[in-house]
Amino acid sequence: MATVQFKKIVKKFGDNLVLNGVDVDIKDHEFVVIVGPSGCGKTTLLRMLAGLEEVTDGEIFIDNLLVNELHPSKREIAMVFQDYALYPHMTVEENMNFALRLRKMPKAEIRARVTEAANILQLNKFLKRMPKQLSGGQRQRVAIGRAIVRKPKVFLFDEPLSNLDAKLREEMRVEIAKLYPRLNATILYVTHDQVEAMTLAGRIVIMNHGIVQQVGSPIEVYRKPCNLFVAGFIGSPTMNFLTGKLSVADGVSVFSNESVTLPIPAFVLPQKEALEGREVVLGVRPDDVLVEHPGGEKLSCKMDGVLEVCELLGHRENLYLKVGGQRLLATVEAFFNRSPGSAVSLCFNYQNMHVFDKATGQRISE
Amino acid sequence: METLKSIVEVTWFIILVAVGVAALVGYLYSHFKFYARSWFFPAVLAVFPALALAVFGGLLGGYTFQLWLYFLLAEAAIAAFFRFLVKGRHTVPYLMLAPAFVGLALLLVYPFVFEVYLSFHDLKLTTIMMWKNTGTLPFVGITQYIKVFTTSPLSEVTFWALLLRTLVWTFTNVFFHVVGGFILALMLNNHIKFKGIYRTLLVIPWAMPQVVAVLAMRGEFHAQYGFVNIFLVKLVHHLPFLASLGVGPVQWVSDYPLITCTLINIWLGIPFMMVVILGGLQSISSSYYDAADIDGASYFQKLRYITLPLVRPVMMPAVTLGTVWTFNNINVIYLVTGQSGGTEQADILVSALYKAAFTYNRYSYSAAFAIIVFAMLFFFSVFYLKSFDAAKDER
Repeated sequence: MATVQFKKIVKKFGDNLVLNGVDVDIKDHEFVVIVGPSGCGKTTLLRMLAGLEEVTDGEIFIDNLLVNELHPSKREIAMVFQDYALYPHMTVEENMNFALRLRKMPKAEIRARVTEAANILQLNKFLKRMPKQLSGGQRQRVAIGRAIVRKPKVFLFDEPLSNLDAKLREEMRVEIAKLYPRLNATILYVTHDQVEAMTLAGRIVIMNHGIVQQVGSPIEVYRKPCNLFVAGFIGSPTMNFLTGKLSVADGVSVFSNESVTLPIPAFVLPQKEALEGREVVLGVRPDDVLVEHPGGEKLSCKMDGVLEVCELLGHRENLYLKVGGQRLLATVEAFFNRSPGSAVSLCFNYQNMHVFDKATGQRISE
Repeated sequence: METLKSIVEVTWFIILVAVGVAALVGYLYSHFKFYARSWFFPAVLAVFPALALAVFGGLLGGYTFQLWLYFLLAEAAIAAFFRFLVKGRHTVPYLMLAPAFVGLALLLVYPFVFEVYLSFHDLKLTTIMMWKNTGTLPFVGITQYIKVFTTSPLSEVTFWALLLRTLVWTFTNVFFHVVGGFILALMLNNHIKFKGIYRTLLVIPWAMPQVVAVLAMRGEFHAQYGFVNIFLVKLVHHLPFLASLGVGPVQWVSDYPLITCTLINIWLGIPFMMVVILGGLQSISSSYYDAADIDGASYFQKLRYITLPLVRPVMMPAVTLGTVWTFNNINVIYLVTGQSGGTEQADILVSALYKAAFTYNRYSYSAAFAIIVFAMLFFFSVFYLKSFDAAKDER
């Protein structure tokens, strides 16, 4: 029903540059998650689309219609706020039909829409209650219901789950995922939680310092992070980074720093000659640090390390290792029956190894 | 020098008694552990004021045995309250508060009890010497209360006319206080430059001593030299057609005393409402307005559906307070019209009450009058706050 385009969006608060040339194209019916650390400008971007913030420079289109100067209510959008923003003096029903009442819609139509939304969100029992009589999760559902009844072209979610506790957050995450096909609309979802981004998104927009770092499907940004920031932000636990220098020996590029010396195969780094002598950062996810592994194809040579700390998570175990002066985190299947201080051997999985230029932070591996 | 000497003497005496009482209580407290007994606390509460009264009575003189008895009765009521309602819990905190209770008793309870006493007796210019000489007054039952409704406190206006005038006065004032305060608060709640300066300027009428403010304003309403009339003259001079509409300088204080008082009091009362409402406005989360913007509410719809309902909780107590203050506001009316030869056209209940007591010297009548005014305000406040509580529970 609606596409959304951001073209060279710039936002300044006084002299403070919050967004610096954001370009994003969102297709019809797409679920796009904008993710980034706090203060990266993602909520500002969403509020500009909603019409709650002025655009300093650039253009926003909804359905190919320039909306920069359009009043929020005319943009056919609905927004779910982080603190829900439910009107505290109105019942759940009044909260949900407020926008419709303002539009002077026929009463039968209003009732039908509210009932429909209440059915979808299982809110029928609570329609006559006041917001303060509801739990956090129920309030969140009312906030979503308030958006649904307006049948907007674009749904905007501004960190909707960040005020809920961990368990409820997981439940609501699934609810939102289930809701998406029924809503028949484009969804923009802002969050700082990369797990929400990975699980919900059709496409992820990763932002930092007011700049879009990477746009892609969850698997793309996980497998092929385009720079150091994305690599460090997406994935939990965080990727291991090893800083060192590249050299070429016997036609093979070799990564080396004080503690680790590692040949890098050509399928990871094809243009080896050009990169000789370059300072690089090697990125390896904890899952790809294999501990006490028998070895095999596409794995690096064995290194000797010391186990510092074990964290048992249940099905997995986090191992904090030290190879020379280099600290590494590995996640392995439980139970890794070794006590801290014991010597272990480990190797890296070349298939999921990332190489970044240290100076620019950009990805240089395949 | 004589005065200073007596002040020093009195202070010394009070300190001496206080130290003595403290030592006594401390000894009982630490040695006998009497505080654990149920009678200890009420006893202390009774001993404190009794001693205090004895001291003040002996010192200042003029206190009769009968008055002292009334006082002790009041104290017994307080003690009973603590004995049966508060019981032995939190004994020490109440003990610490005891001096403050004594102060309250002297400043509030005693005058009130004395007022009730007066209202059932007959103290006026003809009986005051009898009271001074014998310490007794003729008991008249509820005659004074009947007189309140049947005779006039002033020379011209009846009680009922005064009541009507007071209600109109209160309603007009509070209405304009709230409307004016609300408009100013809405304006100050925007992002405007020099907000702090505006706010300070607007609060001045409230921050100034009321007497000064009222007298200054009375000067502005002076028929010849006041700002209002000078302004009207200049206005008519430049816009002559206004004269044909009847606009022109008027004798404010003598011809329209009540309107003058109302204008002055509106000016005086707006800042309080403005400050309270501004506080309320600033506590409303901006996300409600964001949500309403997206829902498509216009400025006035936001005002009607969001601002007003959300400001109500802070406005209600302020309106109750404002109503009581305005109802009881003797300052403005007395200062504008109360000097000798002043008019009675602007008198409301309390200013009439003041005149009845201190111009016409009808003390017992005024006491009954005051109790009736008190009762009206008491029931109004209780009803208002109850209904407000009920409204709050709904949410």
